[in-house]
Amino acid sequence: MSQQFSRRDFLKLAGLGAATTAVLTGCGPSSRYVKREPYQQMPEYNAIGQSTYYATTCRECAAGCGLILRTFQGRALKVEGNANHPLNLGKTCARGQATLQGLYNPDRVTDPVKRASRGSDSTQPMDWDTAVQTVADALTNYKPNEIAFLMGTAPDHLFDLVTDLANAAGMNAPIRFGALSMFEARATLSKAAESLFGQAGMPSFDLGGADVVVSFGANFLETWLSPVSYTREYARMRRGNPKQRGYFIQFESRMSQTASKADEWIPLRPGTEGLVALALGRLVAEAKGGSLPRAFSGVDPAEVAAAADVSLETLEHVAHMIVSAHTPIAVPGGSALGQSNGQTVAEAVLALNALVENVGKSGGVFLSPLSPNQDAYHQPASAKEMQDFVNQMASGKFKVLFIHGVNPVFELPKSIDFKGALSGVEQVISFATFPDETALEADYVFPDHQGLESWGYQRVVTGTSQQVISGAQPVVTPYFNTRATADVLIAAAQLAGGKFAATLPFKDEVEFLNSKVSALMGEADGSFTAPDPVTFMAYFQQYGGWWNKSDVRVSAGNSNPLNRNIAGIEADFVGSGEYFFLPFVSPSLAETGANKPTLQELPDPTTTVMWNTWIEMNPETAKELGIENDDVVKVVSDTGEVEASVYLYPAIRPDVIAMPFGQGHTAYGQFAAGRGVNPSDLLGAHFNEAGDLAFAGTKVTIQKTGKKRQLSRKEGLIGVYEFRPE
Amino acid sequence: MTSLAKPLARPHAEEHEDPREHLMHDPLPRGKMNEMVMEAMHETNWKFWVVTGILAVLVATCLGYAWYYLIDKGLGVAGVNMPVFWGIFLVDVVFWIGISHAGTFISAILRVLKVESRRPFTRAAELMTTFGLVQAAISVFMHMGRVWLSYWMAPIPNERMIWPDFHSPLMWDFMAISTYLLCSTMYLFLPLIPDMAMARDRSTGWRKTLYKILGLGFRGTEGEWKNLTTAMNLFAFAIIPVMFSVHTIVSWDFAMASRPGWSSTVFGPYFVIGALHSGMAAVAIVLFLLRSTMKHYKYFIRPEHFDTIGMLMLLVSMAWAYFYFNDYIVPWYGGDVWDKLFQEWAEKGPLWYLWYTMLFCNIVVPWSILWNKKWRRTPWLLASAGILINVGMWLERYIIIPEGLTINRMPFTWRLYIPGVEIALTVGMFALFLLLYMLASRVIPLIPVWEVQEGQEAHLLRKIGKAEIPTLSELE
Amino acid sequence: MSTNLELPMFTNNSEAELGGRWGMVIDKDLCTGCQACVAACSMENNVPFVGEEDAGYGRSMQWIRIERLWEGLDGDYREVKMTDYQPLMCQQCHNAPCEPVCPVYASVHSMSEDLNLQVYNRCVGTRYCANNCPYQARVFNWRDYADYRETNTADNDPRWSVFQNQLNPDVTVRRRGVMEKCTFCIQRIHQAENQAKAEGREVRDGEFTTACAQACPANAIVFGRIDDPESMVSLAAETSRGSRLHEELRTMPRVTYLAGGA
Repeated sequence: MSQQFSRRDFLKLAGLGAATTAVLTGCGPSSRYVKREPYQQMPEYNAIGQSTYYATTCRECAAGCGLILRTFQGRALKVEGNANHPLNLGKTCARGQATLQGLYNPDRVTDPVKRASRGSDSTQPMDWDTAVQTVADALTNYKPNEIAFLMGTAPDHLFDLVTDLANAAGMNAPIRFGALSMFEARATLSKAAESLFGQAGMPSFDLGGADVVVSFGANFLETWLSPVSYTREYARMRRGNPKQRGYFIQFESRMSQTASKADEWIPLRPGTEGLVALALGRLVAEAKGGSLPRAFSGVDPAEVAAAADVSLETLEHVAHMIVSAHTPIAVPGGSALGQSNGQTVAEAVLALNALVENVGKSGGVFLSPLSPNQDAYHQPASAKEMQDFVNQMASGKFKVLFIHGVNPVFELPKSIDFKGALSGVEQVISFATFPDETALEADYVFPDHQGLESWGYQRVVTGTSQQVISGAQPVVTPYFNTRATADVLIAAAQLAGGKFAATLPFKDEVEFLNSKVSALMGEADGSFTAPDPVTFMAYFQQYGGWWNKSDVRVSAGNSNPLNRNIAGIEADFVGSGEYFFLPFVSPSLAETGANKPTLQELPDPTTTVMWNTWIEMNPETAKELGIENDDVVKVVSDTGEVEASVYLYPAIRPDVIAMPFGQGHTAYGQFAAGRGVNPSDLLGAHFNEAGDLAFAGTKVTIQKTGKKRQLSRKEGLIGVYEFRPE
Repeated sequence: MTSLAKPLARPHAEEHEDPREHLMHDPLPRGKMNEMVMEAMHETNWKFWVVTGILAVLVATCLGYAWYYLIDKGLGVAGVNMPVFWGIFLVDVVFWIGISHAGTFISAILRVLKVESRRPFTRAAELMTTFGLVQAAISVFMHMGRVWLSYWMAPIPNERMIWPDFHSPLMWDFMAISTYLLCSTMYLFLPLIPDMAMARDRSTGWRKTLYKILGLGFRGTEGEWKNLTTAMNLFAFAIIPVMFSVHTIVSWDFAMASRPGWSSTVFGPYFVIGALHSGMAAVAIVLFLLRSTMKHYKYFIRPEHFDTIGMLMLLVSMAWAYFYFNDYIVPWYGGDVWDKLFQEWAEKGPLWYLWYTMLFCNIVVPWSILWNKKWRRTPWLLASAGILINVGMWLERYIIIPEGLTINRMPFTWRLYIPGVEIALTVGMFALFLLLYMLASRVIPLIPVWEVQEGQEAHLLRKIGKAEIPTLSELE
Repeated sequence: MSTNLELPMFTNNSEAELGGRWGMVIDKDLCTGCQACVAACSMENNVPFVGEEDAGYGRSMQWIRIERLWEGLDGDYREVKMTDYQPLMCQQCHNAPCEPVCPVYASVHSMSEDLNLQVYNRCVGTRYCANNCPYQARVFNWRDYADYRETNTADNDPRWSVFQNQLNPDVTVRRRGVMEKCTFCIQRIHQAENQAKAEGREVRDGEFTTACAQACPANAIVFGRIDDPESMVSLAAETSRGSRLHEELRTMPRVTYLAGGA
């Protein structure tokens, strides 16, 4: 460099540098609106003693409840529900309340890092410029079809951004996944709706308007689809009509939290839910008179009762309840769908609804409406699709994998070896906020903001009959050196140039959001109107989202869904064990709660166990095996084994062993790591007809270990079980 | 004034006994006796210092360090939890107050009733009262969550403008214990004055200075004796109601609470009797220890004294048994479901063996041993019975407090109590009690020499024919 | 002419006072045991977590616990029934057994709100109040749980300080050796009262509510003025299903439970 370096050149270069820096660093949302003000004119959010409230969206699950955050001098203090939000009407669940402990979690990934080697704890901090460059290089150095995106079920704006990017650049469409979607069997529900009503979509169940609810394993009071709205609807069913209290019957082999609220809990043999639904259909149809619909003709209630280990009188009694009800409804879900015949179960139960003619009516079943900015229902990947994805990874089809908002190494069954398949991918870039198991296997972690520091929106898929796009905005400035993944991708796309830059011609995430949200301006019947996009966006943030004012109930198209055969078969079980294995999602932890100490310390509603994994076993079974409370036993399936303490649970079939999902992390911070076991280690790659995981289709054996480890219980064993007063 | 005192030995029963078995009839010259007591106080062998050293180490670690640890970390290091908010500390409070009871009981009641055999052991019993109360007070402080603020319970005018709440049984307790501590210390001190004077005249160096101060210039004039006797009589009468009220008030800590099994009107006398039960037994142990370790004490403490205490122990154990089962009958009659559960819990709960051990120690042991005069007069046997009774009484309080607290009106919360650092602290407290006692034995004559001498002067053996008949002259 | 020699009596038993002021109705038929109230309460009131071991030993600090018992445990498993979930917090008794037993006036009755107050600064930790509470509604700071370093091993990790950011400045952070309990979110009551006073009006029904009632997805908890017969809470309490816990003790609790079932 012998050339003279002129002053003009210097200024040019300096200007260019400044511009780059501005692009790279200056587009963080917090720094966008910085303004100098005299000390006396404090902005309201900084005034001493004044709380400021911001509307945003909960990211603890994909439901998309609206939140109002109380902040005080720049700190977020308390989560409250957004009373105007149609989904949750001001209510929250426990996990939503604890989202602050995600924000203020001591174990967050604080800086972008490069990992020394996959699986190793040792990392090298990077600066964001290099990080963005790394992403840009990944986009440009590989062919578009060698790049894959794996995303969580929230947030939707990032999914839309990546979809746009993938579509434009010819990359693989992003895949979404989450443990909750795996246990909810969303694909099964939507395929059953399609096959019965000829129209795909998420069925929504209007419990609030029903007077008799017959649920087949649906854990709608726990984590299923949209627990806050279903709990509210449950309350409406019970006490909404002052003259008549709704009646609730649950068929489930274990008394779940939902079943514990049922008037009648009817334990049936796992795998016979579909048969029972068909038998009920036949009994109801016979009681109603007229010709027997084809769907129910092939089933014999007496045989079904024997197969399901339920008395025929019970079935007749339930059928009588349904017949004499005004607006009965049947709900399929939970473990009933996680069987090898899950789709059949869903179809049989939906057929029962069709039989009582509640489809599309108040108190009945309808299909959730699509959001206005959505062309088709993008459901999360089923476990089968995930297996295909993993196989492609292992075969080396993908050279670069971007992962955001999902932790498949932990969540997917061990038999679908996500971690092993990562070795087929050259470069793994994670955008994890927390150091979870998947981030531990990534080459780079470029941490995203926590949900409360983020912009975005979430489409409400189910739980309300309105179309809702729930808006998110940062309620505090980012606490650590993290950066919004959307910003990183936009900046990287700019750096990468070409199609990438053309697809995302935005300065930052907020501009991208503006472009998406302002498209709603033209929609009729919106919850608010505004003269210009800026005001519209401001309202969007202020109200916590956009929704239409009136109900949009999509009823099914097929006029005669009952005129078809539904195969009345029992489910298959894999494994040679003698006990049915029933994993269920921990109601207090769900998929992301394990790193939040307050959630860890929340007692499980039914067992009151805190901080660890337990194995539910009927006391009779335990007596036969010589097992006592707190004995550590080994549960062995064909694909794995886990050890945990036994909880003698009185309300479970003696041939069923149940375990909560949510613990068993090997990473994910100090509150989660090394605590409990993961029941998905026991599950095989065993799917139902719709490709969802047949998580309840495993049989296991129980082995004593001779060890004892006391479970942490909120209840006192003495008063509840051992020395109870009459 | 005619004496109410009775002849100690009944002629019919003890016709063939040697009257010299009785201390009162086995007089020694006063100078010789004084020498014996002084010698017992001064002569110390290496064994004494080894035991003292061990106790000092125990006090420093189990009491000193463990308490520091407790204060630093909070009560989490102890075993208390929800619903067992009160643990072994409170057991210890009641236990030590119970122990401290017998000292005063023996001393004051027997003094008032002029029971002659009390003379050699009143001092040892009174000392037990004072030191026992010290332990009880320490236990209260250890029990508190914020002991550094315990002075807030004292009614002193303060800048916070808050007076303690005298509605609280704890305040009654606080006042009762402090009153009792004050009274019993005074009552310990008054009979000590002539002995201090005696010791003053027979010592040199720092001891002389100490005794000079404690002796209050007592010279033994007629006027001084008269004043002292009046004061002692006043205190002896006054301290008896104080003593009964203190343990009644301690029982109100429990009886006033609205808990099943606690809220009982019989708790007052029941706790007093329980206190006497353990206290009597403790006196037996202390006397046995003194007799077997201190020089010349075999002369002062004789089987006849164990006999007296043994009879009292038997009497008290019967009274205790009555009250204990009364405490069963009344709730049974009341028919409250929670009270019933409380009792069933003790008998049939996981700690049933504590209940049976308690009944064995408190009833079976005294009833089977103390009927026999010969056994009563065997010091080691009586001391062993005393130890068992104290174990039983400790267990009784354990059953009422931490075990009983498991049972409340919310069955969802019922949970067991597993002691933690309390065990170390309890051991430390026992060590402190013994240590205080051992150190006191080096500076205080544990035998009230003047009282023994006074008694011996009054008792004479008069030769009538071939027999020597014990007689008693007028004392005053 | 007669003179009234009666001294004015200061009791808390006048007609108006017996009626109470703030109260709560909990519909056990609606409560699904979801623990949202527990989490909301912990977040609002700076209730710390205590870790696995202490939590399992009955030392968790939550101000609400959701109780449930079983029926039919001795019979066939099909006949086993769970009793309705019963969220249990301080019942804010009018005649509170916890109050007279405190030697230092740390557990006192507020005349203006008719609530039981716990004055943390005065508490010396005798724990008599907790013993005497028939509802076992009180929790004790067995350790310095509020200082998260105490409950965990990572002592000198500066990142611990981030947890402190969520503490509510309106609520005292309690240290070891102090008793605590549900306050009916008295900080919210005061804020609403101050606001109303500044605007020269009465507090409106439903203007604010406690953290638990606010979160409850089933609307099982209703909070408000029980001395106002038109308030939501009074209307809710006036059903045949309502009862109070351990009424036989005449503690006059301010929480009414509505029984489940038809």
